[in-house]
Amino acid sequence: MEKNGDLIVRTEHLTKCFGKLVAVDDLNLEIRKGEVFGFLGPNGSGKSTTMGMMLGLIAPTSGTVELFGLNIQNYLPKILQRIGAVTESIGFYPYLSGRDNLKYIARITGGISSSRIKEVLELVELSGREKDKFSNYSLGMKQRLAIACALLNGPEFVVLDEPTNGLDPAGMKEIRELIIRLGQEGKTIFLNSHLLHEVEQVCRRVAIIKQGKVITQGLVKDLMKKGDTLQIKVNEPEKAMTVLKNINWITSIVREDDKLLIGVKAEKYAEISAVLAKESIFVTEMRAKENTLEEFFLEMTEERIND
Amino acid sequence: MIEMIRAELFKLRKRRMTWILLIILAAFFCLMFFATYGITSSPPDRMPGEAVDAIRASLQFPDAFNMIFSTAGTIGTLLLIILVASSIGNEYGWGTVRQVLTRRGIRYYFVISKLVSFIIIAVIGLLISVIIGFILALITSNLIGSINWDFMTASYIGGLFEKFGWTLFSLLPYILLATFFAFLGRSAIAGIGGGLGFYFIEAIAVGIFNQAGGWLAKIPDYLIEPNVSALVPSSQFAQGPFTSASTLPSTLNASLTIAVYCVVFIVISLYMFKKRDITA
Repeated sequence: MEKNGDLIVRTEHLTKCFGKLVAVDDLNLEIRKGEVFGFLGPNGSGKSTTMGMMLGLIAPTSGTVELFGLNIQNYLPKILQRIGAVTESIGFYPYLSGRDNLKYIARITGGISSSRIKEVLELVELSGREKDKFSNYSLGMKQRLAIACALLNGPEFVVLDEPTNGLDPAGMKEIRELIIRLGQEGKTIFLNSHLLHEVEQVCRRVAIIKQGKVITQGLVKDLMKKGDTLQIKVNEPEKAMTVLKNINWITSIVREDDKLLIGVKAEKYAEISAVLAKESIFVTEMRAKENTLEEFFLEMTEERIND
Repeated sequence: MIEMIRAELFKLRKRRMTWILLIILAAFFCLMFFATYGITSSPPDRMPGEAVDAIRASLQFPDAFNMIFSTAGTIGTLLLIILVASSIGNEYGWGTVRQVLTRRGIRYYFVISKLVSFIIIAVIGLLISVIIGFILALITSNLIGSINWDFMTASYIGGLFEKFGWTLFSLLPYILLATFFAFLGRSAIAGIGGGLGFYFIEAIAVGIFNQAGGWLAKIPDYLIEPNVSALVPSSQFAQGPFTSASTLPSTLNASLTIAVYCVVFIVISLYMFKKRDITA
């Protein structure tokens, strides 16, 4: 039975070990209907293993994965009917044409008409090359075919693993727009990507995973604020650095010419000005510098390395 | 399940390798019949007359049917090992196994649909072998002498169907053996290497065991090749190189042994495929 109609994905204490290696460690995720969710992490952080467990390709060591409120271990075939996926390695038969590959997938999926095949080929702009063999496709075309394949059954939930891999900038833009459009159509999207700029543009919420553990998750706009940096200009930057280094609520301090970039929460901005004034250091310019997701991601992942 | 079998057959039909193997099958038949005919038309001086007559008989109806079935059994086994192993192994190499399993969650459907499609291909291949062999035997029979069709009674035709069935049954353990190795090694090379390696090493082992005598000579009764040879109609040429008719197991022993091998290979393949993670 579907328990919570609004919740598309829920993982609880999801763990996967390969021998002694803990690839995914006690992962708890929730993705709601209509969300475009970004899953970020460095290489080998456990992103693809998590996706594999969501799609029933990899058996969890412990914990559970529920999709559409159904446990994948008990309802996998039923769940897969509602999912479309682009997996890490694009799996198609090289001796079949793009169209025949989709025809094959349509046959094993069931209930897909040839007009739908035509429709998805048009959607990813492969209509003119549909009869070419898959082995003759460029990397970008292969990626497009994979996306067409994922959309073949009109899925409610689309899992995309690095969907813009190998695409040129124009192709990347098209795929980004396609993802945004799918999100607007009400589809739930799980986007696994290392392209932070891409995630920042298309996702509403993200989770950052490192060494199998989710180190943070939340709305993209909140995460970007979370890592706010204060940028100040002072008359004595060297002295100011020495003073600020001794303050424990300052997370980082970097000098860029006559500017100082200070890692600090917004509510402490005024205190900084006061502390410096006490030491006869005068602030000539002060402004909050909002992080990009990339900066936040690097800050988070490096922080953990230093831990 | 039927849709998955149809999809498998669609892939096999579209694959060039299937057609190349079919051409090899036809070429092998032509070579077998015409090379044998060449020997009988100008036999070596030291070849006894009875041997030449026996060879000649195998190219004429009705003995030619034995030649057809044993040739189909031998070459069919080798070609099927290649086809089966590459069909399964390449699913891993091309990453298509992930694609299929994210569409249909029931893993045994994947294995069973493949096995059923291989059996269908084996039936088609065997039928084509019989047709090619029949045409070639018509030619060689006419070259050697005239054909007398009196032997072609209803019961003889029934016997031909029986031979067809036994030959097909004897191909099964090798289809499943290649399946087992391809799933075990998750590659076409593992399937082909394992399947062909087993086929040839077993044949040599059978010869050694038979030569050794005593209790060792009993071991081949429980291996695949001697049991297959016991079921497939044999001609003087297509018989296994180390197996003679006198050392072959009974039909009952052969049927049961092959059935046991088939069940073991299927069960292990299904178990392995179900339990293993499909990683990139």
